Amino acid sequence: MPPREGIYGLLAEFNTPTDLVFATEQARQAGYRRMECYTPYPVEEAAEALHFHSTRVPLVCLLGGLMGVTTAFLMETWMSVWAYPLNIAGRPLFSWPAFIIPAYEWTILFAGLSAAFGMIALNGLPQLYHPVFNAPNFRNGATTDKFFLCLEATDPKFSLTETRGFLEQFPAVSVVEVDH
Amino acid sequence: MASGHEHHGEAGSHALAAHHGPRTLPSILSATTLVSAWRTRALLIAAVTAALSLPFLFVDGGRGHILRAYLLGFMTCFGFSGGGLVLLMLQYVSGGKWGLLLRRPLEAMSRSLALVFVMWIPIAIFMKHLYQWAAFPTNDAARDGYAKGLITHEQELTMIAKRAMFSPSAFILQSLAVFIILGLFVYLLNKWSLERDADPARGTERSYEYWRTKFENLSGPGIFIYVVLLTDAAIMWIMSLDVTWYSSIWGLQFLVGQGFAVFALSILTVIKLSKVEPMNTLLRKTEQHDLGKLAFAFVMLNIYLSFAEFLIIWSGNVPDEIPWYLNRIHGGWWTICSLDFICHWLIPFCLLLSRNLKRDKGRLALLACFMIFARCVDMFWLIEPNFKDAAGNLRLIGNWGILAYIPVPLCVLSLWAAYYLTELNKRPLVNVNDPHLEEMLEAEHAH
Repeated sequence: MPPREGIYGLLAEFNTPTDLVFATEQARQAGYRRMECYTPYPVEEAAEALHFHSTRVPLVCLLGGLMGVTTAFLMETWMSVWAYPLNIAGRPLFSWPAFIIPAYEWTILFAGLSAAFGMIALNGLPQLYHPVFNAPNFRNGATTDKFFLCLEATDPKFSLTETRGFLEQFPAVSVVEVDH
Repeated sequence: MASGHEHHGEAGSHALAAHHGPRTLPSILSATTLVSAWRTRALLIAAVTAALSLPFLFVDGGRGHILRAYLLGFMTCFGFSGGGLVLLMLQYVSGGKWGLLLRRPLEAMSRSLALVFVMWIPIAIFMKHLYQWAAFPTNDAARDGYAKGLITHEQELTMIAKRAMFSPSAFILQSLAVFIILGLFVYLLNKWSLERDADPARGTERSYEYWRTKFENLSGPGIFIYVVLLTDAAIMWIMSLDVTWYSSIWGLQFLVGQGFAVFALSILTVIKLSKVEPMNTLLRKTEQHDLGKLAFAFVMLNIYLSFAEFLIIWSGNVPDEIPWYLNRIHGGWWTICSLDFICHWLIPFCLLLSRNLKRDKGRLALLACFMIFARCVDMFWLIEPNFKDAAGNLRLIGNWGILAYIPVPLCVLSLWAAYYLTELNKRPLVNVNDPHLEEMLEAEHAH
């Protein structure tokens, strides 16, 4: 795939999370949808302003847990009943109470791993390139003390002039174009 | 491409303050009318169920079942009262906004210990109809009972070996000790809580610090003392129904069961109270979600302990211990055993996994009711198979007395609920001299 060219979006830089959240709320009200906030630490109000409700991480975690419990239980059954049938204290070969603890451990292991890796995958990571890093102020500030709102060019409402005008009404430190 | 903006959006900041700024504490801090209406309803249910219980006096075997069902109701009420006390102490030690939110309901539960003590008196009076060791109150009586074939040799010997703990006088002494010591903690914690609000220096850092330390110093040792006393009480009141059996995890299992029930009841209380002020303002989604998560932890811990007990006894397969489970699985009891597992763990576990459910008032309150019901199913499974006529033999035909397990516990629980609601009405619903109050009045993040 050839590299995408042209403008990725307009990036507004703010000094405080309050300004960022306000601008995000206004942008949403103005009809923008394809936008993203970048903050040095989690700002829950920003997620709320973006109407970022739920993720699919819990579902991935649940599926992982179910996979873990099934795998472990079936494996133990197979081992005890067919592969290595041993008479232990005269108990039946299929002694399910003894299978519960390892099955439980596998549930936790699989659920934990799927939650962690599922979160990374759903975040689109690892990602070797992201256009916003083309903005020098983003590189310097995004992980320290600046708050960014990026209105993306793929949004149908996006227009270079109007969107810039819209962003400049806020107390943004700067509004810069970001190229792909 | 910096563009300096000097006009720091006046209107903007204001709109933000309205949306994210702190809310005000309502002027009236109690919901007297609502709680009184519930109390009337509880008393009505108690009257109706009491009337429904009466016919069992004349059913064959009905009297015995009324007493057993009464023990179930009593133990569940003790769970709310003692569990309320221990969670009250726990939240003082751990801190946290959920603790402040639940403080007054927990205090009201702990104050119901007085009623639970009154409920204990009939058990002390009729103990020889419940406990085998009380039916044969002396060692000679036990030997005589064995000679006449009324009890087994094992029962006779264990009864004699455990006589120091299981005799009518020891039963009364231990029970009184439990009630008196717990009563002392209930008294102090409740007294101080009012004094804390009336503190002339309230609202200052010094006052916060003074009361925090004072409550912590009582609650820390209090939790330990409670666990010891509860272990004794649970062994004495429930485990000794089968004098031959023992399990070292028994007390802890009741402790966790109490946490399970008390969280369910607290969630139910605050959600229902949130129909009106002040709880409408005080109960935020954040804290409700936290309470749901804590209840989930207790659901998990509960099955963990119950299953661990079963697994250890199943692995050991020792003739001393295994009949206890056989009596609770064979002869139809597997239905109750499965129902217990499903109600007590599977359903609350699966439902509480959902974030949306924990944040939904209606559905969470419904689940809380169901969890209280599940506690009763569990208690039924623990109590009824101890008796000779029911061990490994669950039946309804010709055993209609067993139906007493429906109205009697309901009656006892509704009477307790009426008392609890009366106590709840006696104080403002929130402890105002607490730094967490300010945090609870902040607007919350995610809707």
